[in-house]
Amino acid sequence: MNYAFIIDNRKCIGCHACTVACKAEHDTPIGVNRTWVKYIEKGSFPSTHRAFSVMRCNHCADAPCVPICPVTALFTRDNGIVDFDSQRCIGCKACMQACPYDAIHIDPNSKTAAKCNYCAHRVEVGLEPPCVNVCPTHAIISGDRDNPQSEIAQLQALHPVQVRKPEKGTNPKLYYIHGDEASLSPGATSGGEYMWSDLPPIGVDPGAWRAALERQTKELDQPAYQMKQEGARKVYATAEPHRGSWARSVSSHLITKSIAAGVMLVLAPLILLLPRLGSEILVPGAFLSLAFLGITLSLLLYKLERPDRFMWVLTRPQWKSWLTRGAYTMNVYSMLLVAVLLTQLIRGRPPTWLLSATALAAAFSALYSAFLFNQAKGRDLWQTPVLPLHRLTHAVVAGAAALAVASLFAGSIRVLDPWLTRILAGGLALNLLALGAEFNSRHPTEDGEVAALLLLTGRFRFHFWFGVFICGNLLPVTMLAQGLLVPAAVLALIGLAIFDEIFVRAGQAIPLA
Amino acid sequence: MKIDRLVPPGELTGFPPTDQWDDWVEYDPKLWPEKVPRRYTIVPTSCFNCEAACGLLAYVDKDTMEVRKFEGNPVHPASRGKNCAKGPATINQINDPERILYPLKRAGRRGEGKWEQVSWDDVLNDIASRLRRALKEGRHNEIMYHVGRPGHERYMERILRAWGVDGHNSHTTICSAGARLGYALWSGYDRPSPDHTHARFILLLSAHLESGHYFNPHAQRIIEGKLKGAKLAVMDPRLSNTASVADYWLPTWPGSEAAILLAMARVLLVENLYDADFVRRWTNWEAYMKAERGEENSSFETFIETLKEHYADFTPRFAEEESGIPADRILEIARAIGEARGKFASHLWRGPASGNLGGWQVARALQLLTVLTGSVGTKGGTLPHGWNKFKPKLPSEPPPQKQWNELLYPPEYPLGHYEMSILLPYFLQEGRGKLDLYFTRVYNPIWTNPDGHAWMDVLSDESKVGLHVALTPTWSETAYYADYVLPMGLAGERHDIQSQETHAGVWVSFRQPVLRAAMDRLGKKVEFTYEANPGEVWEEDEFWNELSWRVDPDGSMGIRKHFESPYRPGEKMTVDEYYRHIFENSVPGLPEKAEQEGLSPLDYMKKYGAFEIENSVYELHESELSPAELEGTQIEAGTGRILKDGNPVGVQVDDKSHRGFNTPSKKLEIYSETMKEWGWPEYVLPGYIRSQVHRDAIHRDQGEFALVPTFRLPTLIHTRSANAKWLNEISHRNPIWMNVQDAARAGFKSGDLLRVSTAIGYLVNRVWVTDAIAPGVIACSHHLGRWRLNKNEGSRWGAVRVEFDRTKEGVLMRYAEPPAPFKSADPDTSRIWWSDSGVHQNLAFPVQADPVSGNNCWHQKVKVEKAWNVDRYGDVFVSPARSREVIREWLAKTRPSTGNLRRPLWLDRPFRPAPEAFFREDE
Repeated sequence: MNYAFIIDNRKCIGCHACTVACKAEHDTPIGVNRTWVKYIEKGSFPSTHRAFSVMRCNHCADAPCVPICPVTALFTRDNGIVDFDSQRCIGCKACMQACPYDAIHIDPNSKTAAKCNYCAHRVEVGLEPPCVNVCPTHAIISGDRDNPQSEIAQLQALHPVQVRKPEKGTNPKLYYIHGDEASLSPGATSGGEYMWSDLPPIGVDPGAWRAALERQTKELDQPAYQMKQEGARKVYATAEPHRGSWARSVSSHLITKSIAAGVMLVLAPLILLLPRLGSEILVPGAFLSLAFLGITLSLLLYKLERPDRFMWVLTRPQWKSWLTRGAYTMNVYSMLLVAVLLTQLIRGRPPTWLLSATALAAAFSALYSAFLFNQAKGRDLWQTPVLPLHRLTHAVVAGAAALAVASLFAGSIRVLDPWLTRILAGGLALNLLALGAEFNSRHPTEDGEVAALLLLTGRFRFHFWFGVFICGNLLPVTMLAQGLLVPAAVLALIGLAIFDEIFVRAGQAIPLA
Repeated sequence: MKIDRLVPPGELTGFPPTDQWDDWVEYDPKLWPEKVPRRYTIVPTSCFNCEAACGLLAYVDKDTMEVRKFEGNPVHPASRGKNCAKGPATINQINDPERILYPLKRAGRRGEGKWEQVSWDDVLNDIASRLRRALKEGRHNEIMYHVGRPGHERYMERILRAWGVDGHNSHTTICSAGARLGYALWSGYDRPSPDHTHARFILLLSAHLESGHYFNPHAQRIIEGKLKGAKLAVMDPRLSNTASVADYWLPTWPGSEAAILLAMARVLLVENLYDADFVRRWTNWEAYMKAERGEENSSFETFIETLKEHYADFTPRFAEEESGIPADRILEIARAIGEARGKFASHLWRGPASGNLGGWQVARALQLLTVLTGSVGTKGGTLPHGWNKFKPKLPSEPPPQKQWNELLYPPEYPLGHYEMSILLPYFLQEGRGKLDLYFTRVYNPIWTNPDGHAWMDVLSDESKVGLHVALTPTWSETAYYADYVLPMGLAGERHDIQSQETHAGVWVSFRQPVLRAAMDRLGKKVEFTYEANPGEVWEEDEFWNELSWRVDPDGSMGIRKHFESPYRPGEKMTVDEYYRHIFENSVPGLPEKAEQEGLSPLDYMKKYGAFEIENSVYELHESELSPAELEGTQIEAGTGRILKDGNPVGVQVDDKSHRGFNTPSKKLEIYSETMKEWGWPEYVLPGYIRSQVHRDAIHRDQGEFALVPTFRLPTLIHTRSANAKWLNEISHRNPIWMNVQDAARAGFKSGDLLRVSTAIGYLVNRVWVTDAIAPGVIACSHHLGRWRLNKNEGSRWGAVRVEFDRTKEGVLMRYAEPPAPFKSADPDTSRIWWSDSGVHQNLAFPVQADPVSGNNCWHQKVKVEKAWNVDRYGDVFVSPARSREVIREWLAKTRPSTGNLRRPLWLDRPFRPAPEAFFREDE
């Protein structure tokens, strides 16, 4: 059994009955939608055309929202329906990052993720979803694709169909007959005023977003979005819940985690490689790591819509999720840090295996975010293969810089100054290389390209060039050459933080539906 | 608990089977995937958002006795289980935290917003005594019932006739009067009933894939027809959603439609694409040739030549000049229509017919194509609506009233279709009469009619309107000015029966108050619907029964007997008894069908909510009169009319006695003698009248535009949906559509604030620059711009609070408090994210009554400029003095009836009075 939907655009009249029938079935609050109808217009008078596209969860055969969910709140049923359990959801919004179709939102009542679940509670007893029932023109066709007798299978045998973003490899099962390419590709339309509603306010400021896009389009040799040349205009759409769904607490946890991981990533190998170095500096080092690990966890907790369910990541783990893997990694790391600390305080220099294990856990704690970001299939910018290198260099730079700053308060660390200077300089150099590799090549997708351009020439260009490139990298390197370690370290930390912030924001700034 | 599957795994069915409606169990969608069963009783009822009366099923939770949701009713013959967005949104209206739950009596000045809660008993007694006094004093014409959304087949006819009052007022002159007159002149039926499903060519001068009579049922069938190969053409200066789905969008200059249609008719004639046999047999061409050409025995061929000559000027080139549609496109479509041969379905209801001076001729010209292609009454053609509509016989039929109310049917408009409600405030202002008792029911003239200030003026004046009772389920601008605001049930909170001409069948639906029905099923008897409804929300049926009973407590006025039970002599009729009688006695086939299921007719309707009387009704005009019907008849020489007691009952065509149509000639009247007799000899044939917004009247170089202010949105319904949160969330502003070329020339971009000046004032709105409208034309939906006066009134989902500034020059309305989040029992009120409810444009329009049909000619000649510094979004300024001048200019165009007869006897009139009332008493 394999349930799917066909939207037959030969018949859809854009009436929004499906939208409202769905709201009635699920009592969906104002501001969010499980299904909605997007309108675009194209062509010049009198050859004007308005296209309607019913948007909703694609019930992907390879649904990216499922493996990223740390607590199995999202799951694929045997009958092919991608369902969810609000009783399990912790509100981490990772699924919203993973979905390339902006089909998931946070229900403001339950504070948990919600989306079209094909009305699985009705399918269970053999009933059609209400959107199918209500549709005046029978433009929404549900059914079992595996059954050759079903209407959906027969329609699909007769008509070519389109899907949204096939390049994402999600194998979506929301098919469109006469699907309008410009309507199904979110980047193909320019924005503007809507025909009968305010622009929905959720997410980033739409005005600023539009201005940025227009600027970028102009600045490019060729428009990033080839289809923009058709002059299609979006004239009605609903709020885009994914926009900014990972807010500042997510981007800031990256820098605190970089510090927490980086300190031991720098310190443990130094202790191991330089026997002359006293292991007492492990005490302030481990404290520093633990403190920042604590801040990191608090920030992660803070970003949850349901912080009361925080522990479920550990008690109801879903092992494919890098969020789960990350949580466990950080858990192990924190235990190792405590072990290092206690050993050092009670017995003296910790054994080599313990220090090596700690360094390894630190590295994983730094790295896992790269894999989590990769797992967020909805974000083209985050699909870059350089991301692990980024996270690792960030951790090294942050660790060295944090130790340098900490030496102001813990004098014992000062012995590391020459080493920190070298590591910091090396890390920054590597970081510049990673940035160069990242932004010198073209992104494979238009969305990725536009997001990158948001950083280089768009809305975040000041942050990127002045904040990250000059203040965060060039200046610190110059300062290090002058022997100004602590100021360089502070600037480097600020640079890393700015980069994390704009990287997270730019990734989410792309329209998905 | 596990619920059994309805169908084998892998299969799905639409709705719970009817035999499980009484006791239906389904899983709670909120708690899913945990399987928590919820128990419902499913009660069928009808939607009340638009006029289509689609079927709804209410899911009443048996534990909480609350309505959980509304879905479509799969056994409803017209809507077939499907709805538009407004159907499922009914639940919002039921649960609206700001709805009116108790009867309110005005405590301050009218419009001041001070109310006190009163008892229904006091309300009924107060109104009854006032009504009794007026009737006893012979002031029948001071009683008026003004309904916005009728339906309720014939219910009020019994009430008003029992009172002997000619006081039924409606909204048709702001809506369909033009189209009605055009259609009525042809066949005596004032509406079309297209058979879209079987059509080969569909021409819409409407937007039936998103609105209109009857959006959902028609949209289903238009798309069905289209998928079967029919071509769809849409005339609309604006790219409606309908036009966007069409094969041909014809962005006509507003008012030029008849020119195109006549040009197409000419193509059919010249290229011999017409159905000669049908035209010869079924039109009154002989009468035309005789009366207008003096040819007693003309041949049909001569008539066709005469007709070609008559329409010779209507070349495609001429039509192009008028409309802007390329001549070759007109030719192409005309030929396609000709090829549809008998399968040409079309529709026109408001659109051009309600926008333009002479709009009624557009309907007539459209019907000319139907006639020429022989598509009248055929499968795939366009039927007279009366064939597809059920009319009940009532348990008690009071005689027609002997009154004629000239406030409603003034001498200036003998052919008006129908009540001249748009002129009521002026007639009151100029002293033609007064109202002692004015009921508004789901009608909101202050907001809906042109020049709402005139309505505010008379409704504030107790010398002109003695007592204003607003019967309404929700707040309206008109209710703010009432003396009593009486909460009446929403869609699923009252009774009625409805029947609409949605397709080539006949059906009747039964609305019932769903909580009452559910309680009934669970064995909890209630006497009155309000006992089951929320708060003290009554239903109209019981209100009128109770009121009439109290007006005539001893039966001496002859009223009471019409409210007595047909089953329990002398006792008051219950609502159940009323419907029981109708279902037992006047619905063909229902008693038999019910019997098969072991049910009484009433119980059958309670169970299913709808009944299909016929599913395939075609060519009734061709049906032959039975020998019994022919008995005592005579055939009129020369015309072939079959007369019984002097009245035509059929017509001889090629020596056979056919039923024919509802016209004096019993044929389709291409030639209207009536027009000649009533002072309009130039309009005896379908023709083209230049609109008040004709191209030549609009000086585009001076910033003038033709404003089309009449389009609906698929998600809203006039002034009845501001209480539906999900609908207002989707649509909540009505910017002015302007073509990109016009905007570029004027330097406007989307979002710019514009001042749009009409003949009597101006409004300030934003512009939406688009390719979806013809150059030179701007358009603005009338579905938004709702407002409220006081903090304790109105729906905050979709109404802005406004303030009025009255000066010598006029009145300025201005936004004071836009929609914003607020706290209530519904957490969604704190999530209102929009801050717009649109601009109330009708306020700035003068009344422009078409001199023949009486329809308000909505399209406006306007001047558009960038908003002034003093202007704010939503401003509407009106000069009442100017508005009175404009009315007088339009009134001067009329040709009042001269003889004693007030209106052609053959023309339909709702709440038709006794024949003698048609004659004016000699002066």
